[in-house]
Amino acid sequence: MRGLRRQSLADTIAIGLILAIAVFSLVLLVAPSIIVVMISFDTRAFVSFPPEGFTLRWYWEVFQQGELVEAMLNSLQVGVTVTVLCILLGVPTALACVRGKFRGTTALSVFVLLPHMVPGIVLGVAVLFAGALIGVSPSIWLQSISITVFILAVMVRTVQSRLMRLDAALDEAAANLRATPFQSLRTVTFPLLMPAILAGAVFTFVEGFDNLSVAIFTHGFRDRPLPVELLSLVQFTSSPLVAAVSGVQIVLAIVALVLVSMSIGLDNVNE
Amino acid sequence: MTDAVFTPRIDAPSFGERLADALLSGRGIWPAVPAIIVLMVVAVIPFVILLSLGFSDIEIARGDIVSQTFSLEHLTKALTDPLYWITFQRSLSLAMSTTVLCVLFGYPVAYLFLTGGKWTKRLILILTIAPLLTSGIVRTYAWLVILGGRGVVNQTLMGLGLIDQPLRIMNTHWAVLIGMVQIHLPVMILPLIAVMSRHDRQIVEAAENLGASRLGTLRTVILPLSVPGIGTGAALVFTLSYTTFVVPQLLGGGNYLNAATMIYEQVVFSLEWSKGSVSSLLLMVSCLVVLVAIALITNRFTRWTKGREA
Repeated sequence: MRGLRRQSLADTIAIGLILAIAVFSLVLLVAPSIIVVMISFDTRAFVSFPPEGFTLRWYWEVFQQGELVEAMLNSLQVGVTVTVLCILLGVPTALACVRGKFRGTTALSVFVLLPHMVPGIVLGVAVLFAGALIGVSPSIWLQSISITVFILAVMVRTVQSRLMRLDAALDEAAANLRATPFQSLRTVTFPLLMPAILAGAVFTFVEGFDNLSVAIFTHGFRDRPLPVELLSLVQFTSSPLVAAVSGVQIVLAIVALVLVSMSIGLDNVNE
Repeated sequence: MTDAVFTPRIDAPSFGERLADALLSGRGIWPAVPAIIVLMVVAVIPFVILLSLGFSDIEIARGDIVSQTFSLEHLTKALTDPLYWITFQRSLSLAMSTTVLCVLFGYPVAYLFLTGGKWTKRLILILTIAPLLTSGIVRTYAWLVILGGRGVVNQTLMGLGLIDQPLRIMNTHWAVLIGMVQIHLPVMILPLIAVMSRHDRQIVEAAENLGASRLGTLRTVILPLSVPGIGTGAALVFTLSYTTFVVPQLLGGGNYLNAATMIYEQVVFSLEWSKGSVSSLLLMVSCLVVLVAIALITNRFTRWTKGREA
């Protein structure tokens, strides 16, 4: 009996330790963001903790700074462009990968994944050099298309996994009712794919908006995107201004999170 | 004419619809062609060009390449340059320690996910996915605030009277490591959760009903089953932390050179194309080698556990 009890004591301690680490990790995940949001309301002009007072001055100032607003608009444009391109290129590709009856569907899926496997900065450098050789200088468009290529895999994979779980009989039923392939795609398959497309769109938009590794080499020198602007701002500003920009981004992230949980559900993010 | 009653009325298809039908009915490769073209032009060709630049001597005049001849000079120069070795070694050890720490801190969260109730699961998912939707710079900035001279850690320690003067944490190896682990932790947790939720919780209950302690269940049942998840997570965390420059740049104080920051300087500031190409290629190849190693180890442990089951 004693031996058994001692073992169970060790068991309790070990499991308790594991759960303590788990709680610590979860706090670690969220605490920095909470601290940043707190700092963004600080009345003092330097960053210190704990914050004193409450002001919305820094949020006001974010929108007074022409460069920051322009950078936000640029990133917004990149995010939208990347998302639209990913939907236009990715959804048909997912269809071909799953429904295609040609040799090499697997090869196609792997090929689409490849650019996402390459480190972002390597892709960025490669596009910058290739562009320079043929006379395409960095611009907001080069940045958009490069990030599209980098993140396309996420859209394809999200749609692909949804498509694989759809019942093929639905399409046959549509065909039996004399729907043409395009009609069945538009009225049967497409509505069922919408949640996956929406979830994919959230992730591709966030990547277009936030990507730094590809963007830093391909962005236009006059249209600096938000991450590039932020990187220099963080290094050379010591006011809570950056905290306010972060606060805005955290609000955007919460919106994105709600969109994902409403479209495919949080459990399916991994698929 | 009874047929007409049973035939659903379908409007005459437009030209666009007929074209779409023609493209779709074959179930051919056609829908993927635009994507393939874009990937060829924006990924494959640039990559070939990068490769050719790394292996050649180029002369640039007014932004154009005048001559390009095959040469291994830049590669051999890089491989014999001690700066390269130090930088890549630093990146490698930083990324590896990040990966190991992410496993150590991430695994307990996945265990809590497996054993927890519905609300615990939901909370873990929210706390894991939310950071992935926030910019890396924002999350790194938070650490500037926490670890800085007047930051959270120093204020707390000084408030408790444990130290008189602020500790210098920022711009050290430790600051970079802490930031790296926290920023890449979600990327480790998600694949672990995926693998955990694939197995039924009843496996755990069965083991416990058979008299296994909770620790015993974790060691002999849960851990072996989650090896693939650890492998996937480790591969993702390694790739990201090996090739990032945000954290080293911001928390390392600008003089913390890792492979990524070195490439950035070569390409953007000193405009050394061949050097930049060679460094990029070295970064990619070394990353690939580690990924293959991770895959082999994962595979080996998966097989080992399967062997024990049999």
